Amino acid sequence: MIRVFALTKRFGQTLAVDRLGFEVARGEVVGFLGPNGAGKTTTIRVLTGYHPATSGQATVDGFDVERQSLAARQRIGYLPENVPIYPELRVVEFLRYRAALKGVPPRQRTAAVERAMQKADVGEVARKLVGHVSRGFRQRVGLADALVANPPILILDEPTSGLDPNQRRRIKQVVRELAAEHTILFSSHILAEVQDVSTRILVIHRGTLRADGVPERLVAEAVGRRLCVAARCSQDALLALVREVAGTAAVPEPAPEGLGACSAVLQPGQDPTGALGERLLAAGIAVRELRLVAPTLEQYFAHITEGSDRAEELAAAGGAEVA
Amino acid sequence: MRGACTVFQKELLSYFVSPVSWIVAVVFYLWRGYELSSMAHYAMLVRADPDLFASATYTLPSTTAMVLLVPALLTMRCFAEERRTGSIELLATAPVRDGEVVLGKWAAATVFYALLWLPSCLLLHVLEYGPFLATDLSFGPVFAAYLGMFLLSAMLLAFGCFASSLTDNVLLAAMLAFLFDFGLVSLPAQVRANLGELAQHYYVRELLDKLDVGRNFDDWFARGLIDTSQVAFYAGGVLFFLFLCTASVASRRVA
Repeated sequence: MIRVFALTKRFGQTLAVDRLGFEVARGEVVGFLGPNGAGKTTTIRVLTGYHPATSGQATVDGFDVERQSLAARQRIGYLPENVPIYPELRVVEFLRYRAALKGVPPRQRTAAVERAMQKADVGEVARKLVGHVSRGFRQRVGLADALVANPPILILDEPTSGLDPNQRRRIKQVVRELAAEHTILFSSHILAEVQDVSTRILVIHRGTLRADGVPERLVAEAVGRRLCVAARCSQDALLALVREVAGTAAVPEPAPEGLGACSAVLQPGQDPTGALGERLLAAGIAVRELRLVAPTLEQYFAHITEGSDRAEELAAAGGAEVA
Repeated sequence: MRGACTVFQKELLSYFVSPVSWIVAVVFYLWRGYELSSMAHYAMLVRADPDLFASATYTLPSTTAMVLLVPALLTMRCFAEERRTGSIELLATAPVRDGEVVLGKWAAATVFYALLWLPSCLLLHVLEYGPFLATDLSFGPVFAAYLGMFLLSAMLLAFGCFASSLTDNVLLAAMLAFLFDFGLVSLPAQVRANLGELAQHYYVRELLDKLDVGRNFDDWFARGLIDTSQVAFYAGGVLFFLFLCTASVASRRVA
């Protein structure tokens, strides 16, 4: 449904998006992750036809976003980051206006507006002026706008930004409900949200794609799980046993008197818990804790963004020394 | 044209709910009414020729303000406000052409301007009754003059839309439009006076004559004459500025 190929966007000397490429298949809910300034909004604006790309190509449902811009825009429901809506209009008037602008036939307009208001749950503020509703409702009015022409693709740019936890939960729930009928590209820099809602994530940093895949698999493959062990024995004996089984560097962890504790980062797919349990049992050591801890998406995110920043800083520093 | 009609309806509604529009309307009609009644009393006092009364109203300050200032005030928000609030992003990402958006906004401003301005000719009709002039006025020249002023204003409204598309500062857009409006009315005569010999050159003279909207108004519309070349000039001006405005709005889509 969405295809981006070698997309580059420059603003003067600033390179906002650098040869970005990804695809989103029909029915997917894809989280578009990245720190502030990573290029998420720029990419989204190119997809929605607001900005032209400097080079590269993007298509939406088979339509080129530049050469067939109207057809591409017809297929997208877009929720911008800061929902800019007309304060002088009532919610229902705003949605009727947007439905007309998006080409919903006059006879179907009332039903389309009703359906969008129901899906976004804004019925209770339908008669209120848009300028008078709370930020949470404003965001949902923006979502209703994105839905009003029932487009096959929804592009939501930081839909929960600036909302309180209850409002965030409500928006996430709405997005989950919409996933059954729409292909969704959902941008955020809040990792838990993306993990909650998305079936796949794209991580963008400094305008380039750093990762693409199912969150759990990406996290497990990139960072590796951690083995945590605590047993009634000395720290050194436990460390030796873990090193034998896990074949990797184990590090001691703080433990109460009389107990040993350590942890080790495992290779992707490695699971030494069974073997280690048997060894401990054979040695007559009472086990207090033996578990695998999966890293969080947050750790993964830090790993690929801060890690790359550090590598680039080091490279720059090295280059400076050589120079 | 669907997009233009939709934008037109929404913009027209926005004018009707905007306090600026109502303030302009109230101030203009109070001012206009006061000026006309004072002028009628004076005309009765000096026993002026009633046929000259209608054409004398075109020189009133309220007419100048309505033609030069109000188009700038009505169009200042057209695009500048959309850019300031970010709602231009909603318009630009909707499946509607930039030209349709521009046309819809200009048409709404022009219709609202017509609704604001044209009823003022009814004030002249009121003056035909007893307490004022108590005589029939010739409305042919009045309609021609109103048409001339309306055409000029339609062109200035098109320029106002263009000025508004250049900035996200509403006041700057209004000032730019007002400077242009004022310049268009006053500069050709000034330039002609300062050019000396060059002003007599055929092409220069023709150009300055065409651009001198004040003199053209006095020569044609104010005398009750509707000249098709004048109508074409204003219609061409409207199209030219709407084209510039569309190009300005669409420039965002140029890599």
